[in-house]
Amino acid sequence: MPDETILSVRDLNVKFNLRGRTLHAIRGVSLDVYKGESLAIVGESGSGKTVLTKTFMGLLDNNGWIDSGSILFDGEDLAKFREEKDWLKIRGRKIAMVLQDPMTSLNPLKSIGRQIGEALALHQGLKGEAAKRRIQEILLDVGIQDPAQRMKQYPHQFSGGMRQRVVIAIAIACNPQVLICDEPTTALDVTIQAQILDLIRGLVRKYHLTCIYITHDLGVVANVADRIAVMYAGDIVEIGSSEEIFYSPRHPYTWALLSSLPQLGIKGEELSSIRGTPPSLFTHIQGDAFAPRNPHALNIDFLQLPPYFDVTPSHKVRSWLLDPRAPEVKPPAVLSRIRREGDSLYDE
Amino acid sequence: MMSEHSPLLRVDNLKVAFGERRKRFNAVNGVSFDIHRGETFGLVGESGSGKTSIGRAIIRVYPTAGGQVLYKGQRISGRIDKALDRQVTREIQMIFQDPMASLNERAKVGYIVAEGLYATQKGLTSAQREEKVREALLDVGLLHEFASRFPHEFSGGQRQRIGIARALIMQPEFIIADEPISALDVSIRAQVLNLLSQLQKKRGLTYLFISHDLSVMRFICDRIAVIHKGVLVELAETEELFRCPLHPYTQLLLSAIPMPNPAHERNKTVLTYDEGMHDYSVDKPLWCEISPGHFVLGNQRELDNYKKCRLDLGIPQVTG
Repeated sequence: MPDETILSVRDLNVKFNLRGRTLHAIRGVSLDVYKGESLAIVGESGSGKTVLTKTFMGLLDNNGWIDSGSILFDGEDLAKFREEKDWLKIRGRKIAMVLQDPMTSLNPLKSIGRQIGEALALHQGLKGEAAKRRIQEILLDVGIQDPAQRMKQYPHQFSGGMRQRVVIAIAIACNPQVLICDEPTTALDVTIQAQILDLIRGLVRKYHLTCIYITHDLGVVANVADRIAVMYAGDIVEIGSSEEIFYSPRHPYTWALLSSLPQLGIKGEELSSIRGTPPSLFTHIQGDAFAPRNPHALNIDFLQLPPYFDVTPSHKVRSWLLDPRAPEVKPPAVLSRIRREGDSLYDE
Repeated sequence: MMSEHSPLLRVDNLKVAFGERRKRFNAVNGVSFDIHRGETFGLVGESGSGKTSIGRAIIRVYPTAGGQVLYKGQRISGRIDKALDRQVTREIQMIFQDPMASLNERAKVGYIVAEGLYATQKGLTSAQREEKVREALLDVGLLHEFASRFPHEFSGGQRQRIGIARALIMQPEFIIADEPISALDVSIRAQVLNLLSQLQKKRGLTYLFISHDLSVMRFICDRIAVIHKGVLVELAETEELFRCPLHPYTQLLLSAIPMPNPAHERNKTVLTYDEGMHDYSVDKPLWCEISPGHFVLGNQRELDNYKKCRLDLGIPQVTG
């Protein structure tokens, strides 16, 4: 694994002001992103995964602010940025983003060539023929054939999967160092999803990008991620290599997420689901945020926030279950269906 | 009246078309299948394959352009008399994809759930209606107090439960679930899937489950039909389809399922499917029952190949 850190988040706290009440969306997250890796951030809606990555680009809504902590990137602390002109050096140029819904993230009134050209003109000063050549290159890179014709077309002339390719083209147009993909395949068919995932993997390799991939579906990230961070209620509860998270997960929340995947379900049996709802982030959370929904919760879980326990140097888990004094709890039996041998689940 | 073995619903050479003469587009082009009482029948395909159009033609939202739909042996497509129309409206219900969009934001949950009763059972007193709403909400695991709240106060999973309660209150026999879980978080999906199968056991419901995701279908469906560009290409019992997918398009769909397994994912290749690979110029494709209950579309040469594949069942997945 490459060890050079490109983005380093320390004790980040993000709060929002909602109708006079304060919502504590990110609760003390620390995270290192290494150069050239693909990191997946997984969590339910409302777990703060999108908010976390929005802080990297200065895209928090007006009612939100970074309360404390630092985000080191390229020798600068992004958490200290106040003015828009600071962000213009970073946003789109060094860190770029692909959003969930390709139907809404493109301008319907501009040809896609112009939309990619905008990014090139703004960040690299490319104009005219040079810009045109570059646009065609990029379109080919994202798998759009016949770019000379296609660049003159408008978003409505593209299918959902093709539009997402265009969005990706805009994101990589300026050779960013970091590419953030926020649920890029949620709005797409399974077959198109597989193609887009393949495309992202290929581009990451070709352009030596660092990729942060956000999703709620653990089933999807096995394809793209080198490392996985599992978020719950504004905090990272488990982080490790893809193999560690899938083959030997340790946090009960990761267990619950994995075992609720329909891919692992057996027909005629109940699919395991997580009871209850995530805690309200308006109120102070005492102890482990997952404790009320955790069937294996210990008394201390309700009193004190567990520290990170190191399972291996790359695998950290925030759960009291890993304390030497804790009783031994076995992961759900269904997880043994994910086996290291690369055969399909359906071959049985 | 009707024998135990006749299907609850029969779709016979169904065609659905949009647009006028010259710009006519056949979204569904001659689809036939039976759905038996108490089973969950899956319809899988990509966007634009016509799977939703079939569902809507069955529930009489879209007119049929050809063929017919038989419900309990009676034709329900085209012109039908009022009594039958009322019966169909009550007994066939639909669950929609996006619970954020399918509930009236301005109405209270109690009204949303009861709305069907206002239309079909006009004689009910408000107390009776409230009682029915209470039962329906309990059935889907919601508290009856929720009846006085508005949809925006609920999470996505709860909203989908409201959508299911709205269908249940009509005492339906047949439910069309059009991508009921694709807009939901994975953790909520499990809850909704469990709820659907519990309700089926308790009430003997029959489902038509429409989705683009085969991994979900394997968990819930008894039989699955694969549709591509308005034509069925394969139909089989779920286990059979997963063990022995014959049509190349089915194989593509199977290969696209993301697996929660890094070792498997890194080595996998997603297959591609191009209709041009079939040479149907001379040898026309047939819808053929290749083994009991397993239908596949192909011409004579392809069918012979498929039969051979079935014989070498030692290799469950045909690659290439």
